[in-house]
Amino acid sequence: MPLHKYPPRLWEAMKLTKGIYARLPQHYLKSLQDTSPPTPVHWRPLGVKYRANPKTGHRERVQDVPIPVYYPPESQDGLWGGEGWICGYRYTNNDKLSPRVKKTWKPQLFKKELYSEILDQKFNITVTAHTLDLIDAAYGFDFYILKTPKQDLNSKFGMDLKRAMLLRLARRDTELYPDDPSRKEKIYNKYKQFEVPAEEAEWVGLSIEEAVEKQRLLEHKDPEPLYKSCVENLVKELALQKLSEPQVVEKKD
Amino acid sequence: MFARAPARCVLQGVCDCLRAQSFSLSARTNTVVVERWWQVPLSKEGRPPRLYSRRHRVYRFVEDTKHQTQEKLELLLTQTVPKLGGRGDTVFVKKSVGRNKLLAEGLAVYPSPENKEMFTEERRLLREGKREDRIQTRTGQLTVDFLKQSTLEIGIQTAPQQHFLLTKEIVCRHFLRKLGVVVPLHALTLPDEPITQFGDFWCDVTVNGLDTVRVQLIVGPYVDPRKKKLMKQEGAATENTPDSDTE
Repeated sequence: MPLHKYPPRLWEAMKLTKGIYARLPQHYLKSLQDTSPPTPVHWRPLGVKYRANPKTGHRERVQDVPIPVYYPPESQDGLWGGEGWICGYRYTNNDKLSPRVKKTWKPQLFKKELYSEILDQKFNITVTAHTLDLIDAAYGFDFYILKTPKQDLNSKFGMDLKRAMLLRLARRDTELYPDDPSRKEKIYNKYKQFEVPAEEAEWVGLSIEEAVEKQRLLEHKDPEPLYKSCVENLVKELALQKLSEPQVVEKKD
Repeated sequence: MFARAPARCVLQGVCDCLRAQSFSLSARTNTVVVERWWQVPLSKEGRPPRLYSRRHRVYRFVEDTKHQTQEKLELLLTQTVPKLGGRGDTVFVKKSVGRNKLLAEGLAVYPSPENKEMFTEERRLLREGKREDRIQTRTGQLTVDFLKQSTLEIGIQTAPQQHFLLTKEIVCRHFLRKLGVVVPLHALTLPDEPITQFGDFWCDVTVNGLDTVRVQLIVGPYVDPRKKKLMKQEGAATENTPDSDTE
């Protein structure tokens, strides 16, 4: 069996160092490499490294083992607040000796109309009760979207909202409440802490395919016909000739 | 997203019908918390957990946050809301009321540090600012309305042919006992000539140093409450009997 030059599990990571991927902006590549785990929602972390064994009382090392959660595609269109489907098994009658049966726990979803101050628009969003609690804890919908990191937001729609909000803040002179200067000032002062430059904000929350397409369009140039450069060269040559001839004449004079 | 909307609406109608039928059958849960039945073997430090066995996908249902007692939502009111409070008050309400009514209608805001600071500053200005800028608070206004429509009866226990003098302290005490209103001494103004006999008089009460209300004082001899009750009953009886006679 032939061996690859690089093992296949590295291909995905190596892809980012070649071609158009390497020319993506640094801040975007950095955001891709961020792999901090999301805040636990469906399980209780122990939160300690060592603890006393409940049976023997001896000190032992323990480990937080996250429960794998499946995030269906619909979760990307709403704000589920980190909730998803838990697909697994349970024992009937909660008894270890009873048969094991398949079980999927799913979150309860609500349709809610939420208003964004920055975008000055209402959105009909699929949310869970946990999301509403998080919004209350963050003191508002805009604060929740802007404060929450990507792995906790866990939704494409949420990241799109974040990008739109950051862009509004960056381009506040033209887009943020253009008709109402006093309100513009108030909203801007409220969310000043989240402001980033417009060039950076444009890339927030883009998927890798979208980012590559964006970069391709930025670099794209229409092909130039060959005759244009030839004509230019010829014109240059002629000009040089013309310049050199009178010089000789002048010297003779 | 928007292109799919009509189709989704149609589907949703169908789904609603189905849901209504099988609502009791379907398990609807909120944020579920689960744990493992089988312990996962400890991995080396810095290595991912060794989740190879199917047993590690057997979960035990711990709790559903839906069935916990709902905590109250803390909000700051921006307007006077009946039965809750006035502008700047911190209230604890049910989450549904807070989100769907108070926040949705702009009657309240979240108690973020900036909002809290704004309202304490406003309160301070109300208390210490110039007289022209100050406004009566909601509870102050309620007190004023209450005092406007109330009269104060003062019963004085005096031995016959002995003079008495109605002091501010006595009036304040009667305000507290009869009307349940705490009137500090400096907020009360009695007429210039001292009250030394029974009769009807006036006194002025200043609420929060802004509004002055004139309250009627009825000064009379002290009557035992039990006797008063008896007299009232007798009075009612005598009133009722002639009526029945005439009928």
